[in-house]
This record gives sequence, structure tokens and C-alpha cells, in this order.
Amino acid sequence: MTDQQDFAEALLAAESTFPPGLSTWNGSDPGRRFAVYRNNVIVSLIDALADTYPVTQELVGAEFFRAMAFQFIQKNPPRSPLLAFYGEDLAAFIETFPPAASVPYLADIARLEMLQVQAYHAADAAPLDAGEISQLLANEPELPRVSFTLHPSLGILRSRHAVVSLWAAHQTDDVTAALAEIAPNTAEAALVLRAGLDVEISRIPVGSAAFIAHLQQGLAFAAAAQQASAADPEFNLAAALCLLIQGDAITSVSLSTTP
Amino acid sequence: MNKTITAASLALALGAAMTVAATPAAAQNKMSDKEHCYGVALKGKNDCKAGAGTTCAGTSMRDHQGNAWSMVPKGTCEKTLSSTSPTGHGQLKEFKEKKA
Amino acid sequence: MITSLSPFVGAAVVRRLPVRAGIGLKPEHFREILAAAPDVGFFEIHAENYMVDGGPFHHYLSRIRERYPLSIHGVGLSIGGESPLNDDHLDRLATLLDRYQPESFSEHLAWAGHGEVFLNDLLPVPYHAATLARVCSHIDRVQDRLRRRMLLENPATYVEFSASTMAETEFIAEIVRRTGCGLLLDVNNVYVSCVNHGRNPYDYIRALPLDPVAEIHLAGFAREVDAAGDPLLIDSHGAPVAQAVWDLYRYALEALGPVPTLIERDNDIPALSVLLDEAHQAERMLHGIDRHSREARA
Repeated sequence: MTDQQDFAEALLAAESTFPPGLSTWNGSDPGRRFAVYRNNVIVSLIDALADTYPVTQELVGAEFFRAMAFQFIQKNPPRSPLLAFYGEDLAAFIETFPPAASVPYLADIARLEMLQVQAYHAADAAPLDAGEISQLLANEPELPRVSFTLHPSLGILRSRHAVVSLWAAHQTDDVTAALAEIAPNTAEAALVLRAGLDVEISRIPVGSAAFIAHLQQGLAFAAAAQQASAADPEFNLAAALCLLIQGDAITSVSLSTTP
Repeated sequence: MNKTITAASLALALGAAMTVAATPAAAQNKMSDKEHCYGVALKGKNDCKAGAGTTCAGTSMRDHQGNAWSMVPKGTCEKTLSSTSPTGHGQLKEFKEKKA
Repeated sequence: MITSLSPFVGAAVVRRLPVRAGIGLKPEHFREILAAAPDVGFFEIHAENYMVDGGPFHHYLSRIRERYPLSIHGVGLSIGGESPLNDDHLDRLATLLDRYQPESFSEHLAWAGHGEVFLNDLLPVPYHAATLARVCSHIDRVQDRLRRRMLLENPATYVEFSASTMAETEFIAEIVRRTGCGLLLDVNNVYVSCVNHGRNPYDYIRALPLDPVAEIHLAGFAREVDAAGDPLLIDSHGAPVAQAVWDLYRYALEALGPVPTLIERDNDIPALSVLLDEAHQAERMLHGIDRHSREARA
């Protein structure tokens, strides 16, 4: 064990403790002073999670959220000095955390909030203009093989729960009234996309979400449309494309070599 | 079951999407079946927040001493349709850790 | 080799921060700063907050940077760490500094992570020969990689180590001698640490090498007591600068001459105008000293 390893382990320990080798000028208990560091580390990390996951926290209440976050931090302390994205794996943790099981949509709400943070800080990229997209129509036979590069901020979440409605209810003035209208166990899909400086979260049809997710994974135009039709009989390709075009979400097109 | 995707059907959809995207915003949302919400601005998380949240030491440890295993989520999750319906599955119960 | 003798060969000419007061740049104030263009000497950012690919943080910072001098202050490099410096992090820092060309770059005499784990706090280092060698080699590496002189900030600490064989001021003086780094004198940290360890903060400043000091930090602290009932001050960055710290600042300025000074606030961020008022208070002291020293020279 090195000195800093002892120190680090005591910082994240479940019970208040302190490492060997500390001294105080007045001979007072070093544990009391070490607790300042424990507090700084743990509270700042809990606060970082609370900043990233405000709706997740509102759903379960601050007391439960902070206690859950403490357990998460001990299991998954930050692995990077960049705290902006700390807690990417909170959703996975929630799914395995039995006390949260009574709120089955909690993990997907957390996923949506992390997508929002990722979209906020994602790279800037200029969209194709309408003229450039129109040119695709000039070469119709190649259209099935066209690949679309989508904006770096774009994220798709497909959930078995009413994630977007639940999230949106928390953006209103009267959260209780808005929530009373929501049946949580209704499948919804979210499109997360930065528009200018604002991250926009939209509820989109499940088929559109499948289509966009497949494009993002690199599938060509025809293949992505085929997959989306299979996923959702109601899939409306024109509406899905409209979402991307009006969201300035297409940043380049190319011809893929595989269909 | 699956519609056959032809180059012509792709072209048709793309043409339609281009037309709709060029129409006023209100019409667009209806056509694309999309609902809008806007997120809030984020703060920087790497700060020198010594004593974050509370002053320190004894008093503040309460902040993270709560045992989540004995807690029930008590937040807005209690307000949804299923939580208030007697047959809904959103009913909240305290989680009891199973002893092995 | 030659690099250790002249680590900044090829470094661009670095402009200096103006001898004025600055404030920390907070996202809460981005729009107001651009709209109102307040009269303030410079802005300081925490490097790690801007190590993201794009979006609003870079949008606003690049616009604000066009109009104001900039100081970049790292909180995650872990210069005092037993673990080797994180090369990826150093690369990200180099990219950020290339992009924004700040007038100043500073980091802490502290560690912030161990192994793979980042602890998000500025943690204390024992002061002895082995830690001195480690800190110096880390600073050499940072200055080589960034091709510029860095400023090292004195820490606020709550415990000391029985393994320490040197005073903090002695340790810092030796780092400066070996690495050629500059100093960021955090006057609040001096006050907090000295109270916490039963020392005289005025003696501390007298014992420090003052020539390398290129920036000063001022901030507020919180007051607690330790297990013996003695005061334990917490470097909270969540309150206005205390009178005792203003007094120590005046003393430091008299010894140093005027130095760019930052008002730090990371908790309970007040309205921009409140921070600007505190910066103006610091600037009045700076200018008073300035006038005083000019008169002395005349």
C-alpha cells in the first residue's frame, strides 16, 4: 500500500475513517480534519451527479438520490479528471439497484439526461444545406446506398417507458398536474439534438427512432429504412427524414460500399 | 410484412421531407410527429468546491450517511397515473433486502 | 539534456495578465458578460470544464476570450500524485492552451487522483525529499509538454503528515529553484492553512520566494472547529473575501508590488455585479500599492 492509496481508500470508505501518518499541530483527532477531505470528495461527486441528473433526482427525491449516488460513487468513482460526463454508467447501476426497482423507468430517464449532457458538449458540425441534400435526388439509382453522417450531438433513446413525457412533465410549472396525465408504461422514443446552443429533446415515433439509430450506426439509406419498417409497421420515412432535415442533423452524405 | 424499399420510394420520401422542411415551423412539427422541449444550461463541474454543499466535517457527513437500502423513493414518481391507480404497478413499497 | 536547461526553447512569446483584478468565468454569467462588457482585468477558467468537444462552453469562451485576457487554471493534473502524470490529460491541456493562448497557466501543489481513480479534490502532500523530487519531475514534464512556464498554487490544507521534514514554504522555494516555475500565491489558502496549523500567515509570506509570484488568488472561507475546539477554516470558495484575508493581501502587495489578482467563487455563485464589486475592491488596493511604489521610486 502506498500513502496515497491509503488516503484514497479512506476518502471513499463507507464508514468514516482516516489513513495512518496524519498529524495535527494541536494534537487534536486527525479524523475530524480528514473528514473535511471525505466530505469534499463525496459531496462534490454527489453534486456532480445531481447536476447531470436533475429529473432522476426529482423522481426519487433528493434524500434517496443522494444515498443512491453515494453507493454508486463507491462502486464507480470517476476514472477521468473530466467531470462533465461523470456518471455515464449510473443508468446501468440503477437497473441493478433493488431499492430503485419500484421506479422501473428511472434508468431510462437517467439515460436521457446523460444523452442531454453529451449533446450539450458534443462537437460542432455544419449541416448540409437543402441544395446539397436535393442533389441526392439527381442520382436516384444510387440512393439506396447513400450513407448519412449525423450531427455529433444527436442521440436516440428507445424506451419501454414514457421517458420523454415523464421528463417533459418535470420541465413544466406544475409537475404534479403534468405527471397525473402520464401512463409511465407506454413505450416512447426520444431524439436528443443540439439546435444552436440549446439541447432539444423530442418525442418521436418508434420507427423514426429505429431509422435514425441505424443511420447513426452506419447503415445505408435503404437498409436503415428496411429495418425501421420491420420495427414499426407505422414507420413513415418522409417524417423521419423531415426530422433530420429540419433539425440540421445531416452533416455529410457518402456512398457506402456495402448495401 | 416488410415493404420493399426501392430507390423510387426513397426518392419520394426524401422529396416529401424536403418540401415539408421548407414549410413554416408549426406545420413541420405536425408533419414530423415531434414534440418539443428545451433543456437548461449546464454548469461547469470541475470546480474548487472545497466544503461543497455544506460547511464540513461532522455536520455535513449526514449528507451521504443515509442508507439507500432502507429507503423508499420519495419524489415525483409518486404522482404518475399508475402510482395513483389502485391497480397500477407504480405502487411504492420499501425494498426489503433478502437475507441469503 | 539541453531541454532541462532551457525547457521553453521554441515557446511562443507569452503575454502576461494585466496588473488588474479578474474574476472566475462562470457559465451563469456568459450572456451577461457579452451583453454588458463589464470592465474587469481578466477572466479565469478551470481547464477541465472546457475539455469538451464543442457546444456552448466553447461558443461563449471563444467570444469572451476575444475581448478579455484569460488565465487557465487546472484542477485535475495531480502534480503531487504518486501516480505518473496522465499523458492524455496533458495532451488535452496542450490542446486547450493552443486554442485559447491564455496569458497564464497555473496548477496546484496537490494530488487529485490515484491510479485510475480521480477524486475531485486538491489533496495534501507530505513535504520531504522524495515528494519534492516527484513534484519537480512532474512540473518539468508539464512545462516541457506545454512549452511554457506554469504557476504553482500553494494549497489549503486541513491535516499535516508526520513524515514531513520541510516547511511548506521551504518545499515551495525548492520547487521554484529546481523547476523555474512561477507561483500563484493564494492568500486565502495561506490564511486558511496557517490558522489550521497554528502558524503565522505573515511569517509564511515572508518565508516564500516572492519574485516568482505572478498571480494572486483571493477567496472566502468557511469556519469550523477541530476536535480540540480550535478553529478549522475550510477553503470553501463560497463566501466573500474575509477582512483578515484582505489585510494579508495588503501586506503581500506591499512586499510584492502589484500583481494580477483573481477573486475566486465556486460555490453559491452570486450575481456578476457582486463579483465585479469584489474585483474592484482588490483593484483599488492594487492601484494604491502601485501609486505608493511609483512614488517610492520617484
